[in-house]
Amino acid sequence: MSLLNPELGLIRSSMFQKSILGLSALILAACSAPEAVNVSGSSTVLPAVSLAADAFVKETGISVVVNAGGSGSGFNQLAEGQTDIGMMSRDITASELEKFKTINFTRTAIGRDAVVPTISSEIYEAGVKALTLSQIADIYSGRVDNWAEFGGPDRAIFAVDKEASRGTRQIFMGVVMGNPKAETPGTDLVTGSNNEEQTALTQSDSGIGMLSFAWLNEDVRGLSIILDDGRVIAPSLENIRNGSFPFVRDLLVITRSDMKPTAQQFIDYLLGPEGQDAVEQSGYIKVSE
Amino acid sequence: MNTVSLLNAKPAPRRRDATKAYCQASAVLSIVIVSVILLTLLIQSLPVLLSGDNGLFGARWNPDEGKFGIIAPLFGSVFVMLIATIIAFPIGLLTAIYISETRSSKLRRVIKSILELLAGIPSIVYGLIGVAYLNVWVADLFDLQSGRIILTAGILLGIMILPTFLTLTEDALSAVPQRYRENAKSLGMYRHEVFKGIIFPQAKVGIAGAGLLALGRALGETMAVMLVIGSLDRLPSPLFNPLSSGQTITSKLGREVGESAFGSVHFSALVFMSFILVSITIALTILSHYFLTRKQADV
Repeated sequence: MSLLNPELGLIRSSMFQKSILGLSALILAACSAPEAVNVSGSSTVLPAVSLAADAFVKETGISVVVNAGGSGSGFNQLAEGQTDIGMMSRDITASELEKFKTINFTRTAIGRDAVVPTISSEIYEAGVKALTLSQIADIYSGRVDNWAEFGGPDRAIFAVDKEASRGTRQIFMGVVMGNPKAETPGTDLVTGSNNEEQTALTQSDSGIGMLSFAWLNEDVRGLSIILDDGRVIAPSLENIRNGSFPFVRDLLVITRSDMKPTAQQFIDYLLGPEGQDAVEQSGYIKVSE
Repeated sequence: MNTVSLLNAKPAPRRRDATKAYCQASAVLSIVIVSVILLTLLIQSLPVLLSGDNGLFGARWNPDEGKFGIIAPLFGSVFVMLIATIIAFPIGLLTAIYISETRSSKLRRVIKSILELLAGIPSIVYGLIGVAYLNVWVADLFDLQSGRIILTAGILLGIMILPTFLTLTEDALSAVPQRYRENAKSLGMYRHEVFKGIIFPQAKVGIAGAGLLALGRALGETMAVMLVIGSLDRLPSPLFNPLSSGQTITSKLGREVGESAFGSVHFSALVFMSFILVSITIALTILSHYFLTRKQADV
């Protein structure tokens, strides 16, 4: 069993001891400093919050730890007391509230965003620039599987879905399929974060998926939506601001009534001018001027 | 125990008793740990087992509607493990034979230390390489829209378990005493005859052990698989189509454990999946033990 090299277990260098000492000193220091604020949840809300957190740390010296994991995970961690603030890109569902009846949750909107049906740039450039909601529903329910049906190239549609608990997915499916938790037999691939979905769509040349507005770029293009009255609504900042784009949502931070004072301080900061600038710089829309 | 009794030529009962007690305590402790884990998994699985109409052994997974079909991830786990085995075992065995039987001992040490280095690379690193390169190559090769498929996960796992399997197999082959080879050669046997007739039968048990350890790693691997398999809770169609996205038990757990509330039926269904995973590993171990001891008795 030369795999289990015994020498590896016997690191006795002074460097090792020093680093242990250093580590314990750090831990002690962390205990006496003002309590760190833990934030976790939606990867949609994350860019704005972590940008604001950087400025907040510099200003106050209170450290803020921001983690991704998705809206569902953010809520669960908050409810189970593993984090101080949960980030959600959708509202808390009735069944989630049902599970933690004894806890009081507070939602605070820190910005607005749109979920945008997104397609690979190859399809966009081939002429598919707008679809109706029922056409998108046809793709995800598996009734249509070729771009030729929508005036695109004769190529199979590669439908990318997200994990059922993701906020982006629930907003998208809520509007398209009429049920945030709809099952989608037309799906070819399931991804998690916006980052992962963006990569999958970039690597494909005939993909469709859903991304938060801030994640669009020249490789993944936002689709315009054709409404029932024939109007075509482009995913532009203006249409999101005035609410005419169908997939607009609030970016939420969720807290419990028993939160620490530093967490409240951070939320006030998010709603203040610096926090709102961070929201805007991340590609979202402010809730207050 | 043997080394201890050899070191103390004179009997030193007190110290030996202490050593014996320590060894026994350790053995009991490991048995207790395994049982506690199994028991915990079983107890946590009860809510889903008792919840009735939940389609537990179906292919539909929708926690919102109370459907917890475990068949798709279970099938995915076994399928991915098979692909990894098909890739890793022949290459591993042949390379081990090459290294141990034809190379000088100096070169052997160099090659082996490189291989052991490979075995030590954290799995997330393999996962990142898989996402960045392997899945793009696989997609290009088969002209697919995405390389996040069962085959990619199988190839990646094959690469990951290869060093483990190879280095342990090589250990098993090298452990066969040199004089057996010399004796066999002096009888005029060819090299391949020496291997087939003398070395392989001796090393068989060790090689099987290496295979089991590698299988265990393949079944339990989470991170790398999760990143490249596509996370689609559906049986491939046709069933043995490695070019479709899929899900393994581990990738399912990795994706969803954070989303399910502790104590819910959803959580319980995930725990039940891990119980099945552990059961498979244990069954494999017991089976191989039985098989190997019987084979040895025949010899």
